[in-house]
Amino acid sequence: MRTNYVINSGVRFSMFSQDQLEEMFWGVLHLLEYTGLDVMHDEAREILKGAGAWVEGKRVRLPSYLVKKSLQMAPRSFTLFARDGNPKHNIKIGPGRAHFGPGPTCTHFIDPETMERRPYTKADVPLVAKMVDALPNIDFCESLGTVGDVHYDLGALYEFAGMFPNTSKPIVAWSYDKFDSAGIHEIAVAEAGGQEAFEHRPNYVHYCEPLSPLVSTFEAIDKLIFAARHRIPLIFTPCPIAGGTAPITGAGIITQGAAESWMGLTLAQALQPGLPFFMGGVYSVMDMNTMILAYGAPELPLFMAGLTELAHYAGLPLWQTGGCTDSKTFDGQAMIEGSMSVFFSALTGGDLCHDVGYTESAMTGSLFQLCAMDEAIGYARRITRGIEVTDETLAVDVIKAVGPNGHYLKQPQTRKLFKTEFWYPNLIDRQDFESWDMSGRLTMKDRTIARVRDILATHRPSAVKPETHKVIEKVLEEAEDRVKDKK
Amino acid sequence: MSRIFERISTAVLEGDDEESASLVHKALDKGETAADILNEGLLVGMSEVGVRFKAGDMFVPEVLMSADAMQAGMRILRPLLVAGGVKLIGKVMLGTVEGDLHDIGKNLVGMMCEGVGFEVIDIGFDVSPADFVAAVKEHQPDIVGMSAMLTTTMRAMGHTIKALTEAGLRDKVKVIVGGAPVDAAFAKKIEADGYGSNAPAGSDLAKELVGAA
Repeated sequence: MRTNYVINSGVRFSMFSQDQLEEMFWGVLHLLEYTGLDVMHDEAREILKGAGAWVEGKRVRLPSYLVKKSLQMAPRSFTLFARDGNPKHNIKIGPGRAHFGPGPTCTHFIDPETMERRPYTKADVPLVAKMVDALPNIDFCESLGTVGDVHYDLGALYEFAGMFPNTSKPIVAWSYDKFDSAGIHEIAVAEAGGQEAFEHRPNYVHYCEPLSPLVSTFEAIDKLIFAARHRIPLIFTPCPIAGGTAPITGAGIITQGAAESWMGLTLAQALQPGLPFFMGGVYSVMDMNTMILAYGAPELPLFMAGLTELAHYAGLPLWQTGGCTDSKTFDGQAMIEGSMSVFFSALTGGDLCHDVGYTESAMTGSLFQLCAMDEAIGYARRITRGIEVTDETLAVDVIKAVGPNGHYLKQPQTRKLFKTEFWYPNLIDRQDFESWDMSGRLTMKDRTIARVRDILATHRPSAVKPETHKVIEKVLEEAEDRVKDKK
Repeated sequence: MSRIFERISTAVLEGDDEESASLVHKALDKGETAADILNEGLLVGMSEVGVRFKAGDMFVPEVLMSADAMQAGMRILRPLLVAGGVKLIGKVMLGTVEGDLHDIGKNLVGMMCEGVGFEVIDIGFDVSPADFVAAVKEHQPDIVGMSAMLTTTMRAMGHTIKALTEAGLRDKVKVIVGGAPVDAAFAKKIEADGYGSNAPAGSDLAKELVGAA
C-alpha cells in the first residue's frame, strides 16, 4: 500500500504550459467571436443562427459561450467498432491512446509488382485494405489513393466499396458530396444491421475538409450535415499551409486551423448533440523554394503536437498526421521523415494519426512506405509504453540471485518476460555480418518488398455478410445511373 | 519411431526438464536402450530446436530451457552409455583467453554443446596459453573453444594457437573461436578452424567439425 504515490504510465511529453494553452484556447474563441468564418451553405447559416451565432451575409461569428457549450457536448472518449465484431480491431478513443492509419486521395500509387509510379486505380483499393487489415500497428483504413479509372464523380464511392469488404478495421471515409456519403452510409449500415445498430457500434468515420483560410465550403458543410443527421462520427479537418494559407507562425496556424474545425463542431453539435467529433488536420509549411506543402518538414509534427495539446485541453480527440514523406521513393529520406513524425505523433497521443504511407508530398501512395512505417510505429510504441516500476520489475532479488559475473538468461523472470518486455522487429535486421552476408545481404527495402508481397499473396480478411455484397452492387449501380449523362 | 521417443523429443523442444527426465526413465523401464533414447529422442528434439532458432521461431532463453531438458535426460543416460561403451559425439574443451574475465558467453556455448550431445570440459577464464596447452594434454579434447570479449584480449587467441603449435598439439585438435569482437576474418587470420557468432552457432560448428552435423 502506498500513499500519495504518482505513477507515470509511458513516456511523458508536453509542449505548452497551462497558461499557454489557455491563451491559445481564448485566441481561437476570439477569432471565432470577432472575425468569424464565411459559411457557404444557406441551411447551415440558419441552423447556426438558431443556435446563437451572429450571421451577416455569408460571415458567421460565434459567441464564445456557444463554442464552449459545443466543446462540452462532444465526447472525449468513445469506441469505433470493427465491422465483424473482432475486438482486436476496435479502436478505443481516449486519453493516452495513439492510433495509426493511411491517408486518402493520392493521385498516384507505387505499383506493388513493378515498383513504378503510376495512376491509382480501382484494383489498388483492396490491396491497401488488405495490407491495413494484416499490419499489426495499423489501426484504421483509408485508401492511399483517388480511384482514377471510374467516372470522375464516383471515385470516393468505389473506394469505400473496395475497402469495406477487405478489412474489418474501422474505415475513415471521405466523399465528393452528400450523394457519395449516402451510398457509403447505406453499405456500412447494411453490415451493421440497421441505422440504430450502426449508432451503437459505428464502423466508419466520415471525413470532411473545410478550406483555409476561414471558409466553410458548401461541400464540406453539406457532408457534415449528412453525417451529423445520421450520427456518423465526424472528422472536420482543414489543411492550412503556414506562410501560404495560414500565418507563418506555429501558434498562428494552430489558432486559425482550430477555429476552422470548431465552426464545424458548433454546427455538428447543434444538429446532433454528443456526436463524436475529431478536430485536426495536416498542418505544415509551404516550402518557399518549391511551393509544395511539405509532408516531411519538422514543422509538421511540431505543429501537430501543439494542435494535439490544444485539442486535448479543449476536450476533443485529434486527427493527427505522420508516417509521410516528401521523398519520391523508398530511401533514407522517406525513413527519416516518416519515422520522426510517427514517433512524435505517438508521443503526443494524438488519437487517429493519418497519412501513414504517403510519399511525394501526398501525391503518391505507397504500400512499402506503409509497411515500413508499421515497423516504425511498433518501435515508437515500445518506447511510449515506458518503464514499469514495481517491486518485481526492480528485480533486486533476481540481481542478488545471479550475483557477480553470473548471467540472467536462465532466470525465471527472463523466461517469463523476454517476449513482452522487448519489442521484436519484423523488418529491421539484427544479424551478425556473416549471417546477413549468407542470407543474401538484403536491405530494409528488400525485406519490406518481400513482406508487402507476402501479405498481399496470403492475407485473408474476414468476409462481409452476403447481403452487404448485394447492397454494395446496388449502391454502385444506382450511382452509375445517377451520373450516366454527366460528362 | 516409437511414441515414447516422440514424447521425449517434444519435452526437449518445449524445454520441460522434469518431463524429459521422467520420460527417459519410462523408456528405460520399457526396455529401450540408452543409445536409442539419446539418438531417437533427445537429439531429435535438440536438432529441431536448432532449426527453429535459426528460423527466428525460438529465442535464446527457450533454447537454454531445451538444453536443460536435454541435460536432465543425459544425466540419467550418461552412466549407461559409458558402461555400454557408447561414445558421445565428441569432447569440447572451453576457456576464456588470458587477460579476459568474461565467463558468460563461454558458459552458454558449453550449455549448448552439452545440449547437442558433447562432453564439455570448462577450464574457466583468464586462461594463459601455457594452461591451454596443459589442459589439452590432460583432457585430449576433439575441439578447443576459445572465447574473448574484448578487442584487447582477442589477440591472446592467436598466442594460444601458436602455443598449441609449438607444443606439437595443433594437429590433434580443432580450434574454434567466438566472442563479441571476433569475426570469421579474424578466425582465419589466426588460423583457427572456425568461428561461431553466437552460442547455438558455436555448437553447430562443433558438430560440423566432428562430422556429426
